[in-house]
Amino acid sequence: MSGVHARGVRRFHFARDVEEALSLLAAYEGRGALLAGGVDLLRSLRVDIEGLIDITRIGLSYTKEARGGLAIGGTTTLTSILESRAAREYGGGILADLLHRVAVPPLRNMATLGGALVSAHPWADIPTALVALGAEVRWQGEKEGRVPVEELYQGPFRGLFRQAVAIEVLLPPWDGAFAYEKVGRTGYDIALLNACCGVGVEGGRIAWARVAVGARPDRGERLPWAEEALIGQRPSQTLWQEVQDLVAKRIEVGDDRRASGAWRREVAGVLVERALARASGRAGM
Amino acid sequence: MKLLFELNGVPQYLDVEPGERLLRLLRRLGMKSVKEGCGTGDCGACTVLVDGRAVRSCLMVAPQVQGRRVLTLEGLGSVDDPHPLQQAFLDAGAVQCGFCTPGMILVAYELLQGNDDPSPEDVRKAIAGNLCRCTGYVKIADAVLLAARWKQEGKWR
Amino acid sequence: MAVETRHRGAVGQSVTKVDGPSLVAGKPVFTLDHDVPGALVGKILPSPHAHAAIVSIDTAEAEAVPGVRAILHHGNVPRVPYTTAGQGWPEPSPYDTVLFDRKVRFVGDRVAAVAAETEEAAEEALRKIRVEYKVLPAVLSPEEALADGAPVIHDEPDAEGIYDAKHNIVAAVDIPVGDVASALAEAHVTAEATCEIPYSQHAAIEPHGVIAYFDEAGRLVLRTSTQVPFHVRRIVARVVGLDPARIRVIKPRIGGGFGSKQEILLEPVAALLALRTGRPVRMAYSREEVFIASRTRHPMRVAVKLGAGKDGVLQAIDMEVLSNTGAYGAHALTVLSNVGSKTLPLYNKAPHLRFRGKAVYTNLPVAGAYRGYGATQGYFALEVAMDRLAEALGMDPIELRKRNHIRVGETSPIFEKIGEGREGTAQVVRSCALADCLRIGAERIGWKENRGRRREDGPWVHGLGMACAMQGSGITGVDMAAATLVMQDDGSFRLLVGATDLGTGSDTILAQIAAQELGVPVDRVLVYSSDTDFTPFDTGAYASSTTYVSGNAVLRAAQSVHRQILDVAAAALGERPEVLELAEGAVASRKTGRRLTLGEIGHRATYVVDQRQIAATASFTCPESPPPFAAFFCEVAVDRETGVVRVERFVVAADCGVAIHPKAAEGQLEGAILQGIGHALCEEMLFAPSGRCVNAGFFDYKLPSSLDTPRIEAILVPSEEPTGPWGAKSISEIGINGPLPAISNAIYDAVGVRLTRAPFTPERVLLALRAAGK
Repeated sequence: MSGVHARGVRRFHFARDVEEALSLLAAYEGRGALLAGGVDLLRSLRVDIEGLIDITRIGLSYTKEARGGLAIGGTTTLTSILESRAAREYGGGILADLLHRVAVPPLRNMATLGGALVSAHPWADIPTALVALGAEVRWQGEKEGRVPVEELYQGPFRGLFRQAVAIEVLLPPWDGAFAYEKVGRTGYDIALLNACCGVGVEGGRIAWARVAVGARPDRGERLPWAEEALIGQRPSQTLWQEVQDLVAKRIEVGDDRRASGAWRREVAGVLVERALARASGRAGM
Repeated sequence: MKLLFELNGVPQYLDVEPGERLLRLLRRLGMKSVKEGCGTGDCGACTVLVDGRAVRSCLMVAPQVQGRRVLTLEGLGSVDDPHPLQQAFLDAGAVQCGFCTPGMILVAYELLQGNDDPSPEDVRKAIAGNLCRCTGYVKIADAVLLAARWKQEGKWR
Repeated sequence: MAVETRHRGAVGQSVTKVDGPSLVAGKPVFTLDHDVPGALVGKILPSPHAHAAIVSIDTAEAEAVPGVRAILHHGNVPRVPYTTAGQGWPEPSPYDTVLFDRKVRFVGDRVAAVAAETEEAAEEALRKIRVEYKVLPAVLSPEEALADGAPVIHDEPDAEGIYDAKHNIVAAVDIPVGDVASALAEAHVTAEATCEIPYSQHAAIEPHGVIAYFDEAGRLVLRTSTQVPFHVRRIVARVVGLDPARIRVIKPRIGGGFGSKQEILLEPVAALLALRTGRPVRMAYSREEVFIASRTRHPMRVAVKLGAGKDGVLQAIDMEVLSNTGAYGAHALTVLSNVGSKTLPLYNKAPHLRFRGKAVYTNLPVAGAYRGYGATQGYFALEVAMDRLAEALGMDPIELRKRNHIRVGETSPIFEKIGEGREGTAQVVRSCALADCLRIGAERIGWKENRGRRREDGPWVHGLGMACAMQGSGITGVDMAAATLVMQDDGSFRLLVGATDLGTGSDTILAQIAAQELGVPVDRVLVYSSDTDFTPFDTGAYASSTTYVSGNAVLRAAQSVHRQILDVAAAALGERPEVLELAEGAVASRKTGRRLTLGEIGHRATYVVDQRQIAATASFTCPESPPPFAAFFCEVAVDRETGVVRVERFVVAADCGVAIHPKAAEGQLEGAILQGIGHALCEEMLFAPSGRCVNAGFFDYKLPSSLDTPRIEAILVPSEEPTGPWGAKSISEIGINGPLPAISNAIYDAVGVRLTRAPFTPERVLLALRAAGK
C-alpha cells in the first residue's frame, strides 16, 4: 500500500526561503526532495528519500500580470491560478480551458504549476500548453537561469530540478487566443492525446500560430511545419482542415497501452483543427 | 517531530514521524471517517479539508498541515446533530454503502462554501474527483443541490 | 394484502436508512475502523510469475526481521483443497484451491503470508523471503487453454470437481431443447451476434479487509468485509482445521461488494496467522491487490443465433459461451449456467433452444461473482442479436420484444433445465410488467420521435438504442434465510438477520417488511445484521436474494410475532384474538374499541402475567425465483472524428414488484446502470505478455465519474409478486444487464456500426467506423 508511510523519510523541513531550500537540498546529497503540492512526489516516493523540504511557504504562490503576460510562482496551486483574475483573460481564457481539464478539484487544490512543469509526464496536459504558450521558467540553483520550457524539455531537465527550484513560470503576451483540446477515457482522465493551439491575426492574415500536440504518447511538442502552414494565410475552416490533414500526415506518434499510434495520428489532426477553430473564434476572427 | 495543527476546531500538539501520511495520522487520532480506498489519490475516500480546501490525505505527509486547520467529517456534525449537508445526504437517499460519503460530503462542503447557488453542472464538476461505485452519483448530486437550497433559505447554521 | 394497508405502513416509503445517520456522521462502522489493541499486520507475498512451480522457499532472513511473528507458506500449513467461492451446499465450484500451493497460477497468486508488529516490518519480511521458481509456460487466453498440448494449469491430484482438468476445462454445459439446427435452417429470418467482455473489476470503494482476534473465551472472531458471513465460518473452519463452533464471524458495515466479497480470500490467512501467533491480526488488500488478487467479472465470448418467423416470433435461440475463469474455478460453472438460465426464458416463445458453453482455466486473475453473474455477458450478445433481427425483419425493436417476451402465467423449459450448476426448478411467471416497462421507457426517451433520426451536432451524431433483461430473486433449492424477531419489554422490536447489508440498504428494507406487518414505524424495529453468534443463518447477500428470500423470512417471523401479540392482548382484554387488530403501535378491539399499546403488551408479557418472550424465528427457502424485468433505453452521441462515445441519457424502467423502499430501489438501478456504462465505455483490465495486470489501480483503470454520468432516469414500474414479501421481487443486479447492448445498439442507430467488443473505446469505435468506410 503506497499510501501509508513514506518509508525512508527521516526529516521534514519548512524552507524559509529559496536559499535555505537549496542548501538543505544540497546537504542531503541526492537523498532529499523538494515538496510543493506533493501529488507526484508522494504518489511514488523513492525509498531513498530521507528529507522532505517544503517550499510552499517561501512566497512563490502568486499569479500576476507581468509585461503584458503572466508571472506565476512555482508553488501556485492550479486552483489558485483558476481563481486569479489575472489568469482569466490571458490568452483568450486558455488557462481556464486547460486547467479545468487537468485532474480533479481536490488534486488541483494540491498540485502546483511548478510541480507539473518539473514532473512533465508525457501524458500530462500542462507541458503541452506551456510549450504552445512559449512559457519560460525562471529557476534558481547554484546558479540562476531563465529558459524557454520548450528548450528545457529538450535537455536533461530532470537533473536540473534535482538541484534547483522552479521559481516562476513566465507566460508571454499574445495578441490573439489559444484553445486546448483533449481526449481521455473518462471525464477526469489523463490525456490519450491533447493539443494546444493559438493564432493571432493582423490585416486579415494569420500573423502568428502555435500548434503543440502531447501524449503522442510522448510529451507535448510544437509542430513548426503546421505553424508555418498557417502563417500568412487567411483564417478559415478550410485552412484548419488543411492543417488537420497535414498533421495527420506528418505527426510522429506511437503506441502505448492506452491508445495506438494509428488512432493518435488521425485524432491529432482533429484536435488541432478543433483547437484552431476555437482559438480563432476567441480571437474574434 | 512536533506538529501543531487544528483538528476539527481543537488544537493538537503531538509527535509525528516526518514520513507519516496525513491519512494515517488522522485515523490514528480517531478520525475514522477518513477512508483509504486506493492510497494513490485517485478515489477521494480520504478527502479532508485543509484551510477550507479539499485535499487527498493519502498524498500528504503529516507535517504539511503544520499550523493549518484540518476538517474531517467528524468536525462537521454528529449522529444527533447532523450538519444540513449530512441531513441532505440522508434525505436524498445519497448514501448506499457510505464508504465514499465522508469525502463526498467534504467536497460538497467546499463547493457550497464558495457557491450558494450551484448549477447541477457545478455539482458534477465539484464531485468529479470522488469515486462512488454504488449510486451512479444521481442522488448524491440531488443531495448537494438540496443542501444548497437549504443554505439559500438560511437553514444552515 | 390490501393496497390501503401498504400505503399506510412502512412499505413503499423511502424512510431514512437505518444505518444512514451513523454513515453520514462518519462513525467507525466499517471493518477496519475497529482498533484491536496489539494487532499484528498480515501481508501476502504475491507471485511474480503467471505459472511456476515453487522449487524452494527460504524464510530465514525474513524471520530475522525484527517484529516478524509468523510466516506461512506451503511447507507449514495444512493442505486442504477448497473453493474460495462463498456459495451454498453442496458447493458447485471445484475444490481447486489450497491456502498456499507448491505451484503458482497467476501473477498475484499467494505464495506466502507474514504477520508482523508493523506494516513496515511485514513489508520488509516479504522482500526477504527467498523463493526459487521454476517458470512454466503460461496460458493467457481461453483459446490457448483449449489448444492441443496446452500447459495443464490444474495438474494437482487432490483437486475435486473439475470437469476436465487435463484440457483446462473447469466446467461445461450443453442443454438442448427441441432441434435448434433445423429450426434455424428453416427460419424465415436469422440474425446473430458474437460479443466479448474483457476482464473488469467490481471496484467497491472499500478494499477487502479482515481483523482476526480472540474473544474472552479464546474463540476466534473474524470481523470481515464479506457478503457471506456464514460461508466464511464454514469454509474457514474446514481450511484451517478448527471446530466451526470456535469461530464467530462478524459482518459490520460493508463498503460495497457487487459480488467481490462473496469470496473467502483473506479470512483463512488471517485466521491461521492469528492461531499461529496467538495475537490479533489485521489484513487489508491494497487497491492493487484488490485488482489482481481478489475477483473479476468472467471475461467471455458469447455467440447468439436467432431464427424467427415472418411475424418476428422467435423459433430458435442458439447460445454458445466461452468463459475464462482465470487461475481458479470460483463460480465458473454457476456463472456459465446463468448466462443461459437468466436470459433465455425472457424470450420463451422460441420452442427450439440450445445453450452450451465451456469455462476454462487460464494463468490470469481469478474471476468470480459479479453483479449480473453471467446474465450481463449473455444479454450483451442476445440483445445485440435481437436488434439485428429487428433490422432484418424491418420491425421496430420494441415490437420484436413485445412479440416474444414472457408474460404472467407463462413458463420456459429453461427454468427447469438450468439451475445453479445443476438442474433448476420449474416455475411459472406470476408477475411481469415488462410490457409497461417497454411502453413507459419508450415514451420517456422519445423513442418514436428520435430513433433512426441520426441527429447531427457538428461531429457528434446522436442515436437511440434499447434492450431488455430479466434476472432472478434468489436461488431455488439452495438459498435459505432465517430471521429472529423479538419484542422487547417496551414494545419495540429487535430484528436479527443473517442477511448481509453490504451497502444496498437491505437492513432498512427488512425493517420495513417487519414494521409493515407489526403496524409500527421503522424506527421501532432495531435491526442487527449479521453475526454468526447472534443472528440466524442466511446464505448471504448474492443472487438478488435479500429482499425476496430474507424478506420472506422476516415477514414470516413478523406474522408469528403478530399472532403472539394478539394472543397476549386477547388474554389481557378478555376478548378473542379474531376481533383484535394491530395497527399504529396498539392492539384495538373491533368489538369494544378497547386498546392496548404495544408498550403495555410488552410490559405485560415480560413482567406481569403468563410471562414469556414474544419472539419468533422463521426461515424461508426459495421454491421459486421470481424474475424482475427491465427495459433499457439510451441516447448516445458518437464523435465521428475521434470515436468518443458519450451517453447523453439513460432511461431504465424496471419491474421489481412492489418497491419496498423506492429510493433504495432507484439507487440500485442508477448504480448498476453506471457500472454498466463503465463496462460499455471505459473499463478493462489490461495485461502484459507476462500475464501481469498493467493497470491495477484507478489511475489507469477508469471508473465512470460524475462527469461521465448521463441523466439516468430510473422508473419503477409496479407489479405485485404474489410470492414476494409485500409483493416485492429483486432489483440489485438487473440494472447492469442493459447498458452494454443498449449502448451498442444506440451506436448502431447513430453511425451504423456494430460494437461487439467491450469497452467501446474511442479507438475501437473509430476503427469500426473506418472499417465500414465511414
